[in-house]
Amino acid sequence: MSTTSSTALPDGGLKNPGPGLLTLDPVHTALLHGLDALLTGLAARLSAPEVVGPPLLSVEGLARLDYFRNFPHLGVSAGRFTPEALDGLAAGEDPGELPLRPTGHLLPSATCYGLLLSLEGRDVGEDGLRLSATGRCFRNETHYDGLRRLWGFHMREVLYLGTKQGAVEHLEKGAEFVRELAGLLGLELTRATADDPFYDRGGSRARLMALDPVKHEFSAPDGTAIASVNRHRNFFGERLDIRAGAEGPAYSACVAFGVERWVHAMILAHGTPEQALVRLRAARS
Amino acid sequence: MERIAEWLHEKNPGLDGPIDVDEDLIEARLIDSMDFLEFIDLLEEISGDTIDLQEVTIDDFRTLSRVERRFLTPSGAAAAPGPATTG
Repeated sequence: MSTTSSTALPDGGLKNPGPGLLTLDPVHTALLHGLDALLTGLAARLSAPEVVGPPLLSVEGLARLDYFRNFPHLGVSAGRFTPEALDGLAAGEDPGELPLRPTGHLLPSATCYGLLLSLEGRDVGEDGLRLSATGRCFRNETHYDGLRRLWGFHMREVLYLGTKQGAVEHLEKGAEFVRELAGLLGLELTRATADDPFYDRGGSRARLMALDPVKHEFSAPDGTAIASVNRHRNFFGERLDIRAGAEGPAYSACVAFGVERWVHAMILAHGTPEQALVRLRAARS
Repeated sequence: MERIAEWLHEKNPGLDGPIDVDEDLIEARLIDSMDFLEFIDLLEEISGDTIDLQEVTIDDFRTLSRVERRFLTPSGAAAAPGPATTG
């Protein structure tokens, strides 16, 4: 977790592999880890145990959550070379030209999906259940932009499942935490209703969301959304048969943080990565 | 209102018995977000009026009693509330 400021990098630093793909240098890495450690404060405050979600999600599970109906464009698929391609690869053929076979799995595009799917068929009781995790998430985007829009990024979530009222309280506490933490870090954030990145922006779900927002985002002064509070009503509870005791299908809600975007917001607010790190360390001490 | 109740039961086969007129249809997801536009179509068909989504709020759809008051109660010379002829 400590910075490796004594680690010398070669002249010119670390190369980035391509659009949407960044290799974080030691200072950015210290910011990322330090900020994520602060973000776990919400999990600690809400007694949400830390878990590690699965690295891949089944397309069957995602389909049951309407993932492909809502976000067909985002999914980054895990493929495997066909057996026929292996000899060619071993003989030095260009991998980019060889066929891939679907594995039935996608890389996660949000941290909570893997947690929700792991709770299928459970009764979380009327007291509800909270879980927290950070996962690397992947989304195909039409453009990439520094730390603001990446092909793969870290998303920390604090998830709640339980009663309707419990879900409301979870988001209230989450929003309060975001405001407190922003104050501590010297970040100026504005809160506004937001849309999920639906493929069909004129479709039924998007239209209802416009009338009854279920997502609020906290954004840095340049418009970068760095945190969101999201309520799902009892959608996941119904689809995955997760119950809240006698209350029936569980209501769920999550507080989500895009960790690289917190790094971006810190640099934006404090001028340089080094100054951002000084401020972060002061906040953590 | 019968057609609306029928539609809700069709969409929610697990529902037992009548739906309370004050039940929150949105929060309980008896109107699922995927079916929301179909519900609007149904209301337009029953009322014979178009619904401009810029001029409504979510509360207009929240309960059966609100739906009836907002969309199916004649403010002028429209049809009486209740089952209407299909278009």
